[in-house]
Amino acid sequence: MTTLIQKKICLLGDFAVGKTSLVRRFVEDRFDDKYLGTIGVKISRKVITRSYGQLNLLVWDMTGGEDLDTKVRMSYLHGAAGALMVCDLTRSYTLDVFEGYARQMRTLNPRVPLMFLANKVDLVNERVISDEQLWSISKALGGQSFYLTSAKSGESVETAFLHLADLIEEKA
Amino acid sequence: MEKAPKDTINTGPTGDGINPLDSIRAILLADVQEGLGALERQIDGLQRQTDTDKVSLQQQLEDILVELEQLRKKIQKDAEELIPRVAPELGNMIGGAIRDSRDEMAEALGPVMGEAIRVQIRNSRKDMIEALFPIIGETVQRAIGEFAKELQRNIDAQLRRSIGPQGFLRIVFARLRGIPASQLTLRDALPFAIREIFLIQHGSGLLLAHYHPSKDEAPDTDLISAMLTATRDFVHDSFGQGEAENELDEVQYGDQRIIIQSGRTAYLAVVITGVEPEGFRSRMHTLVSEMHVSHGIVFKRYNGDSTTIPNLRPKLAILADEYADVEEVAEPLSRGTKLALAIGSLLGIILVGLACFYLQFTIALFPLAFPSDTPIAMPTATSVSTLTATETSPPTFTATPIFTPTDTFTPAATFTPSFTPTPIMAVAAGNVWVRPEPDYSGDLRFTVLRRNTSVRVLSVYGLWMEVEWQAENGLQRGWVLAEWITLLEPVLADQITPTQIP
Repeated sequence: MTTLIQKKICLLGDFAVGKTSLVRRFVEDRFDDKYLGTIGVKISRKVITRSYGQLNLLVWDMTGGEDLDTKVRMSYLHGAAGALMVCDLTRSYTLDVFEGYARQMRTLNPRVPLMFLANKVDLVNERVISDEQLWSISKALGGQSFYLTSAKSGESVETAFLHLADLIEEKA
Repeated sequence: MEKAPKDTINTGPTGDGINPLDSIRAILLADVQEGLGALERQIDGLQRQTDTDKVSLQQQLEDILVELEQLRKKIQKDAEELIPRVAPELGNMIGGAIRDSRDEMAEALGPVMGEAIRVQIRNSRKDMIEALFPIIGETVQRAIGEFAKELQRNIDAQLRRSIGPQGFLRIVFARLRGIPASQLTLRDALPFAIREIFLIQHGSGLLLAHYHPSKDEAPDTDLISAMLTATRDFVHDSFGQGEAENELDEVQYGDQRIIIQSGRTAYLAVVITGVEPEGFRSRMHTLVSEMHVSHGIVFKRYNGDSTTIPNLRPKLAILADEYADVEEVAEPLSRGTKLALAIGSLLGIILVGLACFYLQFTIALFPLAFPSDTPIAMPTATSVSTLTATETSPPTFTATPIFTPTDTFTPAATFTPSFTPTPIMAVAAGNVWVRPEPDYSGDLRFTVLRRNTSVRVLSVYGLWMEVEWQAENGLQRGWVLAEWITLLEPVLADQITPTQIP
């Protein structure tokens, strides 16, 4: 019997930064440019084959930009093995919520690995967030790296998710 | 400041003749007048300019009007070409309006919706039926489900009330057919079935164990458990209002329900159809508690690695088996058991029959085994006993006279006289004392039977006769010597009881 490991990961970020699109690209490998805000939480699963067996990533895709102090948010974060924080490269204020999310995650689990994603890298001309800004904020919040992703083109999406899976397995 | 000197000057020329002031004024006002003249010229210039502009503006306005008219004509002309170009934009605009102002659109479209549906039904009835069928079907199904549930509850209640001999017999017969009583009750009352059982870790929603009746593992169980957990959290946070005790304990969807029983670190979710039997929730509670006792720490520390938890599926299967459908688990009695039961029943019936016979026989022979001194008891006994007993009776049995055609009862061994149901008419031969008993020793009651009084002879005892006659003070009765009575009709020999006990 092959080993089966289940891990819950959360996807956090401001409104319309592309969380659901990233999950769709990662899980179903497709992109849809219609925007439909997520209400509450949407859970998807991605099965990854590993050397030891099978890793089931259960991705909890949360409502964007919700008030961090609400208890609904807190209960959704319980038991998460890791989190992906997503900002929109074309809107600098989408970085502002990172600190709050990171604090919440660390409150529940101080050792939880966090991965920072700067999405919409395909919109080159509209980019307003620099690499330096991303470096500094990910360092400040205890992240090890960040990825410039595009759910539209698929750039670095799978790499980022798999990197988080690696970090989770290391911590475990 | 300038006005003051001016006033002074103006008030000055009140005199007449050569006025030096005029020349002074002329000198002083020369500049002013010159200024005024310049101003007038300027104004004239402006006036002319304005007139010119006015004309030019009018001209321009006329030009614009002409252009507008031309445009209007052009639009009218190009209307047909424009519509196809505008149509897609209109679609987007309507879509946008619906998205942005739903309420207003609903308000606007509401009144025509009914009419539109009516027209559509009239024009393409089949399409509408196909479109509406899923909704109507589901609604009807739900209504029937509700009704069935109510009915089942009623039947349950009735079953509880109607435990009686009839119910007992039914259970006995069911048992003979191989169905245990408890399951018979279940089958009658509830089409209850367990579809799936989940054991889920609190918070993370990770699946700890899962049971499905079929051998194959159902897909998406991990997603279901995660989503169920999110739903529970959502309900708890939204409606729990901080009360830690309250939790979502049931979810209903169509005819299926998810019953949730929470433990400390994990909760049990059972997907069922029908109405759960009494005590099902407490059984779930027991199971959750048991599993927490044995694996509570494992549940708490579980981080998604399936190798760290024991296989709990068999434990969940036990719960499912306990409430499984009757047909699936009922073991009918074996042929041998049935035969044994039949023989046992037959032997039982024979034994009961023998016991009855023995009892009857004992009762019949009891008087013979323990004869009584008082023969008077005999007729009583014989009246109970049937003729079969008579056959076995010894010849000394004195019941025979009772069955004589005269119906005369045998006088008892004591003074008890025989009683003649058909009295014989007679007359008193003389005045005679009437005694209470057929004996001289008895007390005289100072009753005298007058001569020629009509009497009825009730019974005869030796030389004595019991007579009855109508006296002044009512019906009198007593014993007199037979010689004082003259019978008016003959007495047959067999009517006289021969026995006389001294």
